[in-house]
Formats: sequence, structure tokens, C-alpha cells
Amino acid sequence: MDNATTHASEKSLDAVRKFAESYAKRTGTYFCADPGVTAVVIEGLARHKDELGSPLCPCRHYEDKEAEVAAAYWNCPCVPMRERYECHCMLFLTPDNDFRGEQQEIGLDEILNMR
Amino acid sequence: MAAATAVTDANFEAEVLQSTVPVLVDFWAPWCGPCRMVAPVVDEIAQEFDKKVKVVKLNTDENPGIASQYGIRSIPTLMIFKGGDRVDMVVGAVPKATLAGTLAKYVDETK
Repeated sequence: MDNATTHASEKSLDAVRKFAESYAKRTGTYFCADPGVTAVVIEGLARHKDELGSPLCPCRHYEDKEAEVAAAYWNCPCVPMRERYECHCMLFLTPDNDFRGEQQEIGLDEILNMR
Repeated sequence: MAAATAVTDANFEAEVLQSTVPVLVDFWAPWCGPCRMVAPVVDEIAQEFDKKVKVVKLNTDENPGIASQYGIRSIPTLMIFKGGDRVDMVVGAVPKATLAGTLAKYVDETK
């Protein structure tokens, strides 16, 4: 399960993808101008959902992933995002962010094609 | 053409801590989006500072020992080592100019 080349299940991938779309629309945030960034983060979240049961942020290093999931702080959407719209993973970018694109949607095919 | 080479928990001491020139270490992970944006910047830095700075990358998923030892939390984190000590750190996807400016402070121009 620790193999970096292991991909997420399509079920989790689609669930996280749909969550990301609805959360971006709800918060008025946008995906990155580089859809490769969005696709990788969604895949990382989906892998954690498969492995740990929760979409733990893939842009952090953890001493103990199970403990982090239980603490919930870095489960997506994380506390910094919910409180201050800060997503250092660049999945949800505020309108004033230089790296943001125009999209709040990404197709499952688009993610799968970038693997 | 210098590009960032991979280091591991096993050779970090030899490659980074015992380096005679300053070292830039890119702590990255495979499923981290902004790491993909930083990687080409780090490669450009490797070319620009060729011979003056050693530029390496460490996969934190595969090398949790060093990542934990240096308290890596947010990824990507770019750390600068000189004479075996951590001397500076930049967190997140930063523009090339920011990284080059930070690195320049530690380069010995007489070499």
C-alpha cells in the first residue's frame, strides 16, 4: 500500500473529484491553472481515503497517518481551508491567487488520462 | 548539465551533510500537487548554480527518517544546508527568483 505508484480506486477517485467540485463552487474557489496539480492532489486524497478511510492532505509529512486521521485537522477540507481559505496543496485557490485557473470542474477521464 | 539528483535516508549524511558546497534539498512527495510546480524550478536552479551549490531531492514517502528528523510538515519544503547545518528554509511553491535570492546568501563567490 505504500508503493508510490499505486493508484487510488476509481470509486474513491470519483468521490473525491465530486467533493472537490462542489466544495470549490460552494467556497468560490478555483482549481489550479495547471490541471496536473489538481489531478495529482485528487489522486493523493483518494489514495488516503482508500488506505486510511479519510482524505488526509497529501501535501504534508506525517509521523503517524492513523493518528492524524483521528485528529482530523488535516482531513480535507482541512481546518486552515475551512477557517481561512488556505489550501497549500493548491487544490482550492482563491480568486486573487496568481496560479488559479477558471475551472471548478475536472472530469474523471481527465484525471485518469493524466496518470 | 546539472539536474537535481535523488538522495535517500541512507546517503543523506554523505551527500548533504558532508558536502563541501552548500546543498539545496527539495523535500517532495509523489501525490503533492505543488511539488510538481517546484520540481522544474529546482532543476533550473541546479543549472544556474552549477558547481556552487549541490541540488538534491528527497522523496518523503520513501525516506521518512530524514523528513521526520528535520521536522518536515508542509510539502514541498526546500531546505538549505551548509557545513552540515540547516541554514535556511522555504516552504511551498515559490517563484524561482525567491529561491535564487535565498540561495545566493549562502554561496561563496570566491570558489
